[in-house]
Amino acid sequence: MDTRRWRQSIIVSTYLATLTPAPGNAAAVSGSVTGSDGKVIADAVVFVQAPGSLQGRTKSTQVVDQIHKTFVPGLLPIVVGTAVRFPNHDQIHHHVYSFSPAKTFELPLYKGEVAPEVFFDKVGVVKIACNIHDWMSGIILVLPTSHFSVTDAQGRFVLENLSAGEYTIVAWHELSKLKPEATAQSVRVDRDMTEVTFSLPLGPARPRPAMHGVRGEP
Amino acid sequence: MLSARARNSCSLLITCVLLSPQAHAQYEVETPQSVWLRALLDVRVVGGGPAPSWTDHGPGKMRYGGSNSPEGFERTTRVALSQAALQLGAALPWDMRAQVQMNIEPDVADGYHPWLVEAILRREWGNAESGWGAQAGLANVPFSLEHSGPAWTPEYTISASALNSWLWEDISLAGMEGEWWHTTTSGIRLGALLGAGYGGDQIGRLLALRGWALGDVIGGANGDLATPTGRTDIFVEHDERPALYSWLSLADESETAALKLGLFDNLGNQDHPGVWHTHFDTVALVLHLPARIDVLAQYLDGVARVHTPPNDSSLSAYYVLVSHHFRGQRVSLRYDSFRVHDLDGGPSSTNEHGHAVTGAYLVQIGLRCQVALEYIRMNSHRDVTGSLNPTPDGWQMSVRFRY
Repeated sequence: MDTRRWRQSIIVSTYLATLTPAPGNAAAVSGSVTGSDGKVIADAVVFVQAPGSLQGRTKSTQVVDQIHKTFVPGLLPIVVGTAVRFPNHDQIHHHVYSFSPAKTFELPLYKGEVAPEVFFDKVGVVKIACNIHDWMSGIILVLPTSHFSVTDAQGRFVLENLSAGEYTIVAWHELSKLKPEATAQSVRVDRDMTEVTFSLPLGPARPRPAMHGVRGEP
Repeated sequence: MLSARARNSCSLLITCVLLSPQAHAQYEVETPQSVWLRALLDVRVVGGGPAPSWTDHGPGKMRYGGSNSPEGFERTTRVALSQAALQLGAALPWDMRAQVQMNIEPDVADGYHPWLVEAILRREWGNAESGWGAQAGLANVPFSLEHSGPAWTPEYTISASALNSWLWEDISLAGMEGEWWHTTTSGIRLGALLGAGYGGDQIGRLLALRGWALGDVIGGANGDLATPTGRTDIFVEHDERPALYSWLSLADESETAALKLGLFDNLGNQDHPGVWHTHFDTVALVLHLPARIDVLAQYLDGVARVHTPPNDSSLSAYYVLVSHHFRGQRVSLRYDSFRVHDLDGGPSSTNEHGHAVTGAYLVQIGLRCQVALEYIRMNSHRDVTGSLNPTPDGWQMSVRFRY
């Protein structure tokens, strides 16, 4: 092997060492996400940015329901390659669509369970809405990894089933002023629970006020 | 072997390299607009007649009728701009919502004058299960089960029933309303809406002068409607008494079945010239049955009185609509019955009665377009027009664009 190729092998091996977790028992990373003001942030998504992994969670079909003119759940993180169904359990029609670059689709006026599945094959944010009810809004966050967690009402998250090794973990929130890579934290995971804290400055929320009364029946 | 610090740095560096500018944008969320604009354009091919429509001061009871030629009434087929609607919405501080809608309906307004259909401020508290709302501004009464499409267009057919056509033609009130809704622990959904509004002093006059009609006319506060001998303003306030209305509803938790009751009284003070006193009740049933079938039934009964000149009438109408829908397509069939009964035998009788059958097929094409076909067969009699059956049938093909 010549010197040049030997050097390239060393560099590639070094990269792989940072990307590939060392074999070991399953471990977990837990922590919390707070705002700049110290208040806890619910519905933030914490996920493993590197190394990417599609293992650890099956890509079963997910569901975003429509109940009382609301997408349920309003935030659905999925791993790329997942299909999502959009049943409508309201007695009025909805017309679900997205113009997001990560997935453009529309499901014409329907109600009940008949809407076909939509396959999400590109990483990114897919903002969904209803063409009839302008306040209906939801997000499908298509991630490159199956290792993700959504923070609960206390801002807590747990990333489970990680092998021991080095990971880059990032946090995302709909209103975050930081891009996920700006929140990146390098974490060494071993058999003990590793604690990580993220601080995200949030922008103002500007949802369109919902109409639940009879004036919102169209 | 690299140190842990070096490996961490390397890992972060690789992460940054791997994330291209395109990848950076992947996770950005489009900021929702706090002000939004929507529009609806409805262009039709219509065939009707032979009698000219009421919108042309004729005896026809559909929105589009025939023409009046030297040889008499003739059936006509033509292209018409039926509706151009502009809707402006805004999310305001304190979770308030503003909505304004302007409509252009050239055949109804006798020109391209925009009519102000709606201008409201609304605030809600609570959630879908339980809550209450308050609203102020200009709006119609919420009694129509059919006007639930974009820009308040009928959802199941092109033309609404006689009952709901009148509600949206003739009523435009400026006032306030409060609403309460609640789901009980046993799964019963209750709703109550109470409202008061000015501008309803001539509600009922249209039915006495013209009678019932089938269409999709959306009245506006600054609009007026054709009568056989002239025009009548929609928004009129002389006696400074507000109209009162309520809308009560009872439904199961999933709203598979709902029963609704509407009460309306304009409290018109007939000591003021030109003021009509009109009150009516309406009861409605909504069923969402298996096999994607919707059933609507609604009945209205009321009285419209006026002193000068005396022209009191009792009003009644009902319809039953059955509709099947599947993936953006809808087929609807509706039976209508309507009646006006002259109560005082005044100089011109307001007596009329009639019934109609409407069939419609609607298909949504993408987000922006809807194509609809409709055929109406009608049989009616009005004393002042004698034995003439003014509009035996009519058809329409509508292409709606929505932005």
